[in-house]
Amino acid sequence: MNDHLTSMTNDSTSVPNPSVKEQNPMSADAAGATQPPYVFSTTDVAVYYGDFRAVRDVNLQIRQHEITAFIGPSGCGKSTVLRCFNRMNDLIQSARVEGSVEYHGVDLYDPQVNAVEVRRRIGMVFQKANPFPKSIYDNVAYGPKLSGVKKKSDLDDIVERSLKRAALWDEVKDRLKASGLGLSGGQQQRLCIARAVAVDPEVLLMDEPCSALDPIATARIEDLMQEIKDEYTIVIVTHNMQQAARVSDRVAFFTTEVNTESDRRTGVLVEYDETGKIFSTPGDDRTEAYVTGRFG
Amino acid sequence: MDELRKSYHHDLDHARTELALLAARVVEIIPRATAVLLDGDLESADLLIRGDAEIDAHSVEVEEHCVQILALQAPVASDLRVVLALLKMIAEIERSADLAANICKASRRIYGHDLDPKLRGIIARMGEQAGSIFAAAIEAFQENDAAKAAALDDMDAYLDALQKQFVAAIFESQAAGRIDLQVAVQLAMVARFYERIGDHGVNMGERVLYIVTGKVPDHSKPKRAKIELDDNLEAVPVVGEAEDS
Repeated sequence: MNDHLTSMTNDSTSVPNPSVKEQNPMSADAAGATQPPYVFSTTDVAVYYGDFRAVRDVNLQIRQHEITAFIGPSGCGKSTVLRCFNRMNDLIQSARVEGSVEYHGVDLYDPQVNAVEVRRRIGMVFQKANPFPKSIYDNVAYGPKLSGVKKKSDLDDIVERSLKRAALWDEVKDRLKASGLGLSGGQQQRLCIARAVAVDPEVLLMDEPCSALDPIATARIEDLMQEIKDEYTIVIVTHNMQQAARVSDRVAFFTTEVNTESDRRTGVLVEYDETGKIFSTPGDDRTEAYVTGRFG
Repeated sequence: MDELRKSYHHDLDHARTELALLAARVVEIIPRATAVLLDGDLESADLLIRGDAEIDAHSVEVEEHCVQILALQAPVASDLRVVLALLKMIAEIERSADLAANICKASRRIYGHDLDPKLRGIIARMGEQAGSIFAAAIEAFQENDAAKAAALDDMDAYLDALQKQFVAAIFESQAAGRIDLQVAVQLAMVARFYERIGDHGVNMGERVLYIVTGKVPDHSKPKRAKIELDDNLEAVPVVGEAEDS
């Protein structure tokens, strides 16, 4: 957690415990119990940077224990929408979110919701691995320490468990005191995943987590995503369509629309469906053109 | 916006053209096989039978081309449907060419036996109909025409009715002593070959529908309505009677 996040701490109501979500009408699918419940539900979401509307009319539901991929050309608003899910847009002065983003039925943008608590439950992994200039151990223990874990043995357990979950333990267990910055790019990214899961979040948001990695490191992260999806809900933004096809259960395709009057581009959600459908029989011609590479 | 991945799309178009050319060969050899059968032209029969090996070799080339596209370009959406359809259609075409060669082989076996005008008339009609089905299938493919592809089923119903009529005519001819049993059996097989060519054409139409709509053929649905033929071999629909699946 950086200083921005800690400075936003307040003592107001935090979001409810995920364990009560089963009672929430939002989480029960009308079609029956076979569909996983919704973790996020957005209604008419639009995000503005100043008077510039970056994305509009986003309506989608993120299902629990699924990997949802956001794809689309640059400027289509996919990262902007991802950042709505843990209120990262709050950190941008001019940013403003309209519409509603619900997390287990609770409005994330309710003024009473504690943004820091939101980010504890909804972790994020960025494009560029950004370990703290600290030891591997301290990188992972940082979040749990902040949230009050003091006992050395408890921290040891958390560090080991998190590094194992991030498939990094075997590679670093003998050099936990070494700097996180000394790891390879792929290892650094897995360290960041370990750091994110150390605070026991429910959701992992990943913003192009593999775009700086080689194919082997990428495959490791993708395997990891599959292994941990039973415990987490994952939303990933990716420029790599094959990655979306390989790892995700559902795909949301965004594109840009040019406003003829202002010549500015606004992102729109074009299609949101099961991954197999998006890559075999997409329902919208714009999706078809994008995934087949006919237009870019 | 500009088109991207141009050489890949060009490659895909090329594979489509290769398949269309292969199918055109079949459209071309069906009437020739029929002529061989009716005229007893053994020289042409040998030519067509030898030509089948060439179609087989081309089929393998188109298949390898499709495998290359799958391996190197990872096609998705309609591109993926095209490649998958091509792979299926290659088999239909290759098999249909085999059946045309089989008709030529049967011609050798009945060489020297005269066929009565009724048998000859129905053979000519079966040949025309099988050729029309195949030609329509390839047109539907080239034009991505779902309606034309869907119409193949009805064209095939007529071919099936012709086959049934032909078998009845074989019995009649054999009973009257105009052909011997050996010839009768060969002719019944020939009827089956034409009928199977029609079925392969229908399957190709189903793959065209898959390309256009993404719908996988549903063979569980009730089959089409039966038709019967009048004395001029014109189709007469049988009212209120549909075959069960």
